[in-house]
Amino acid sequence: ASTSAPRSSDAGPVCILVDSRCISGGAQLVTCLRQRHSAAVHVCSLDGSYMIVSTRTAVERHSQSELASANNRKRLVERVAALQDGFERVCLIVEKDRVKPGDSARPFQRTRYYDSTLAALVGSGLRLLWSTGPEDSAALLVDLARLEQRKSHGISVPLEVKGPQRQQALDVYLSLPSVNHVHALSLCHNFRSLSHLSNSSIEAIQKGGCMSRSRAEVVYRFLRYSSDAFLMNCSK
Amino acid sequence: VLLNAVPPYGHVIAGDKWRNCPLIEHLKGAGVKILFESELGMSDFHLPNKSCILYISESDIVAGNGYKRKLVRYRNAGSSFLGLVLVENTRLSEQYFTAVQKFVVFDLGLTLLPVSGQTEASQLIAQIVHGERRENPFRRRTSSRLMDPQILSTVQLLPGVGRVKALALLQHFPSIHQLCNTPLAELEPVVGQAAAHQIYNFFHEPS
Repeated sequence: ASTSAPRSSDAGPVCILVDSRCISGGAQLVTCLRQRHSAAVHVCSLDGSYMIVSTRTAVERHSQSELASANNRKRLVERVAALQDGFERVCLIVEKDRVKPGDSARPFQRTRYYDSTLAALVGSGLRLLWSTGPEDSAALLVDLARLEQRKSHGISVPLEVKGPQRQQALDVYLSLPSVNHVHALSLCHNFRSLSHLSNSSIEAIQKGGCMSRSRAEVVYRFLRYSSDAFLMNCSK
Repeated sequence: VLLNAVPPYGHVIAGDKWRNCPLIEHLKGAGVKILFESELGMSDFHLPNKSCILYISESDIVAGNGYKRKLVRYRNAGSSFLGLVLVENTRLSEQYFTAVQKFVVFDLGLTLLPVSGQTEASQLIAQIVHGERRENPFRRRTSSRLMDPQILSTVQLLPGVGRVKALALLQHFPSIHQLCNTPLAELEPVVGQAAAHQIYNFFHEPS
């Protein structure tokens, strides 16, 4: 196996990974991505209901009313923290609420809480995109993926692995710290085995994992870290 | 110098042309203090959290592409501020919104926040100003998790290895790197022949 994957060209289809939990309520979005935008969409199990458009960018979709509800705050904070752990860039698509057929569209009431949430999200470096509905969101996702592709951050490895042993290797790579699903896929495709990976230099891990230098350093240190049985039983 | 002026807490620096605008009146009503400045450069407002705002009104958008030049100059001013763009998204301007968003976010890399008009804009600005005193729950934290339990859970993902075997393996070979480079004959006494084979093959067999 070669240790470097060819960069996808500008003209190629964009690749997007979608968590299976996005399908309920997001079927229209996925269909639109595939049919209207000819995007290569792979539905898989990520560690949350989000989408990945490049090696460094994750996207979550929220309705305006979800962001406006104080009940969702704790969950949103946890989600954002988890995504910021695995991705340099986290993007939130804020979608207008769907109007049920027969209902008249109620104008969205902006609250102080909603505005303070927006201010906090922007202040923490999250990117916000505004959408009128699933079709609009699909177009934004494709634009975002295309932009990342132009900056050489597009997903350039096959979106899935074949065979039980490869799957097992993928699970092991996913358990490495600061590694996201695209990094793990890249490690899977670019390293023969875990032994090959653990005997590789930081530079090789960075290249083969399509990840930043600092992430490669974390992986390198983790693989060589000498663990202590006593500390293992401490809570995570 | 004024281009990089950061207002004190609770204050906003506003461009002179905003005097007597409803936005300013609403901001004052929300307890924000205003400092006017005639030379703010390309921005309309400076906020205490080191962000600045360019305000694109409905009429800017409907009038044509002039707002794009304004945006480019705003971006190129390249101050150390976080560049926010407030865009009036109204019944009249909404048909242009997709194009405006594409330009602001994808082409220029700025942050866009839609508002329905000056009243909503003032409420949002007030929250940014007041939010500066509160802790931001979304602020990126550097996690300082202990590596040891994480290594244990990674080793437990190896074929045929549960908690007991993982602990036994790490007691003899405390790092994953070391574990990967252990000969089969040394794995066998720790986890038994069958498991040792499975683990060894997993480490080395190019699949």
